[in-house]
Amino acid sequence: MKLVRLLIDRLYDIRALNKLKPLIDAVDAAMFGPAETTEGGPHIVDNVDLKRYMSYVIVALLPATLASIYFYGWSVLRIIIVSYIVGGVVEVIFAIVRKKEIHEGFLVTGLIFPLVLPPTTPLWVVAVGVVFGVLFGKEMFGGTGRNIFNPALVGRLFITIAFPAIMTTNWQVPFTDAITSATPLAVYKTTGSMASIYDLFVGKTAGSMGETCRIAIIFGGLFLIFTKVSNWRIPVSYIGTVFVFAAIGNRLAPGSIAPPLFQVLTGGLLFGALFMATDPVTSPFTRMGKYSFGILCGILTVLIRSFSGYVEGVMFSIVIMNALAPLIDHIVLMLKYRPVKI
Amino acid sequence: MSMQKKLSGIIPKYKRFPRGYEFKNFEGQPEENLTQTGTPARVTIPLRQGFGNEVAPIVKSGQKVAAGQIIGRDDESVSNPVHSSVNGKVVEIEKIDYLGRETGAVVIESDGTGDWQMLEGHSSKWEDLSAEKIGELIYLSGAGSAGTAGIPTRFNSSVIVPEEVENVIIQGVGSQVHNLSLNVLLRGEGLSHFIEGLKILKKMMAGAQFHLALNRSQKSLIKSVSQLLPTDDSINFFTVPGKYPVERDEVLTPLLLEAGFPYGYCTANVGVIVLDIQAVLHVYEAVVEGKPLIERTIALCGPGFMEKPHVKARIGSSLEHVIKGEVNADKNLRFVLNSSLTGESLSDSSLPIDRTFTTIIALLEENEREFLFFVRPGFRKDSYSRTCLSILFRKNSRMFQKSCGTNIHGERRPCIFCTFCEEVCPVGIIPHLLFHYVEKDVIDETLLKYKIFNCVECNLCSYVCPSKIPVAQRIKEGKAKLLDEGCKCPVPSVVLKGVEKYKSVK
Repeated sequence: MKLVRLLIDRLYDIRALNKLKPLIDAVDAAMFGPAETTEGGPHIVDNVDLKRYMSYVIVALLPATLASIYFYGWSVLRIIIVSYIVGGVVEVIFAIVRKKEIHEGFLVTGLIFPLVLPPTTPLWVVAVGVVFGVLFGKEMFGGTGRNIFNPALVGRLFITIAFPAIMTTNWQVPFTDAITSATPLAVYKTTGSMASIYDLFVGKTAGSMGETCRIAIIFGGLFLIFTKVSNWRIPVSYIGTVFVFAAIGNRLAPGSIAPPLFQVLTGGLLFGALFMATDPVTSPFTRMGKYSFGILCGILTVLIRSFSGYVEGVMFSIVIMNALAPLIDHIVLMLKYRPVKI
Repeated sequence: MSMQKKLSGIIPKYKRFPRGYEFKNFEGQPEENLTQTGTPARVTIPLRQGFGNEVAPIVKSGQKVAAGQIIGRDDESVSNPVHSSVNGKVVEIEKIDYLGRETGAVVIESDGTGDWQMLEGHSSKWEDLSAEKIGELIYLSGAGSAGTAGIPTRFNSSVIVPEEVENVIIQGVGSQVHNLSLNVLLRGEGLSHFIEGLKILKKMMAGAQFHLALNRSQKSLIKSVSQLLPTDDSINFFTVPGKYPVERDEVLTPLLLEAGFPYGYCTANVGVIVLDIQAVLHVYEAVVEGKPLIERTIALCGPGFMEKPHVKARIGSSLEHVIKGEVNADKNLRFVLNSSLTGESLSDSSLPIDRTFTTIIALLEENEREFLFFVRPGFRKDSYSRTCLSILFRKNSRMFQKSCGTNIHGERRPCIFCTFCEEVCPVGIIPHLLFHYVEKDVIDETLLKYKIFNCVECNLCSYVCPSKIPVAQRIKEGKAKLLDEGCKCPVPSVVLKGVEKYKSVK
């Protein structure tokens, strides 16, 4: 402990590293809690800071991460490391240029982003995606807390559109090196046959790295809701809507709308609903807004899956709803609070 | 049947309070013993204590005074008399900087004796006293200054008169981090004195409905109170969860009465008087025993005290005199009055104690950096989120009591809209929304629209914020700026009483 202190103090003393001060500050703050005390009113405060808050998202993602390493091998780890390093460099450069502290939000983005990629994604595509996501998803808006879109989704969206061949047809079958173009949703769309519920639960189907093992995702998501790090309102309304809408839709148009349980357990729905739609910064903050956000996400997801050229709609629906989140809040506040004249 | 009812007593009605936050299992709770601090050699009596305006001194320097003698009184303005708490001689009348404002104070040197002068006309048969006389005894004893609006009597002790009181709420909720133990106040004769005190108040404010609210966790107290309360429904008995800040007047009143509340006004303005248990005991002592308010029971709490007794101290004793011998001198401490969330910081130990003291909390000044702070499991760390392991040890665990120090526990970060502040806000406003407007210097009707004046300044939003934003402080600033620009909170659609009088209380 004293050694670490000594080392960090040495880093501060080296003049050549003056430019890297935000980075050293970040290391310092991560190693040691603050020395600052309250100024009174309140005299004592909660023990949780954003570091702990964000690190719990990572803890919740660990089961899904470990499952993906188990299914797809160590290449998953390589992709995660590339995502962290490249994204981290962008974050640090921005902090240095802006002379601001480095924020914790990146720790989450850096892990969520690789988990929504196909396991065979080339490392350079991962790098391009994470740079785009951090740059245009977050830093352009002014950093954590001010971004409109979920940075991981912005990156994913960009490479999906920029490199469609890599991103939509290269799905690795778990435990093998075989490549298939058919995820369960794609199979359903072309042939109408469905993967077994058990396979979907455990993760023995093709899909993005982190989103196939549903048990791990549900476990992590419930953990986040229990610890109050994420709010239950969005995932409940999102998944609930997909289920109800698919149940009704499957009756009316059985050819194009898949049955409810299959809808819930396929694609990125659980991962998206539990880890991406719940991002507090890019979703509405009002309670009614959260419900509406989840319901609209659910409707959009089913519609895109069933009636568009794409097989999966979770990413698009969350990004579209991210853009609408401020409007939803505005409407909810307008309905709830009457203007006052002075 | 009626026999059975008498045995089981009155069953309290439970009132759910979905908001707020319960502080559980914090270290430094006071022990259930009571010690006397003895007669101090010198007291400084502030001329404004509790509710009311500052009174003018009616004694001169050099004059001999007796304990219990009125030394400051002003019958014209809304105020309550102030007494000497010791027998002795006035040495000085000075101005002191007291709890954030300049106040006149009378310094008295004590002769060391401990007796006091009784109030004239008190009677152990209080039933025979007229309501008028009871009011006079309450006023002359100084007990009238209790609560945020005083106890109404004929003597300008509150902003309204007894006939205008519609509801009287007596609360022993104790939802703070550290609370005075009611078992200490009500042990032995205390409980029956309290019930008598209630009846005395009821006689004086005959037209009012009485309500008693206790913390639902105080099971044995609830049981004994329910057996002693009159069975004729003249007192509504409630239990509430100990979720901070449910004990605040502006929160408890609408909760118990199931009515709207004109936030920004005092409870007396809607005919409601809120008192705590100690105030009722002061009323009993004044009317039945003839004892003026010259002593307070104060709980010494927090990790900075070695023993944590309740002490009975003469008003005007210096802080030093009250806490001496109990302080852990090795540690860097911060003394806080009554509440770790909203209390004044007591930085000068020569300052006197007054009638408003209930707890003195000694918090640790944690200005040392903790190695790998954010990854430590947190067996002793409190959090609104459930990310610390302290949630596993909530039921009075001696081993893992939560620490309470003044460290801010993290770096300041931008708001991420986690809505913790909204979830805990006791009045249901959206603190982070108001914060953003004030931060951007939008000081206009938008703030009124989002009900900034509903804020009761409980500071809970600042407590729970994981981004360590001083949300409550900004909201307070926003209010102050609005008032500067001449904005007032929108007048509610209720008949307000004594508003002009209340405004005159400085």
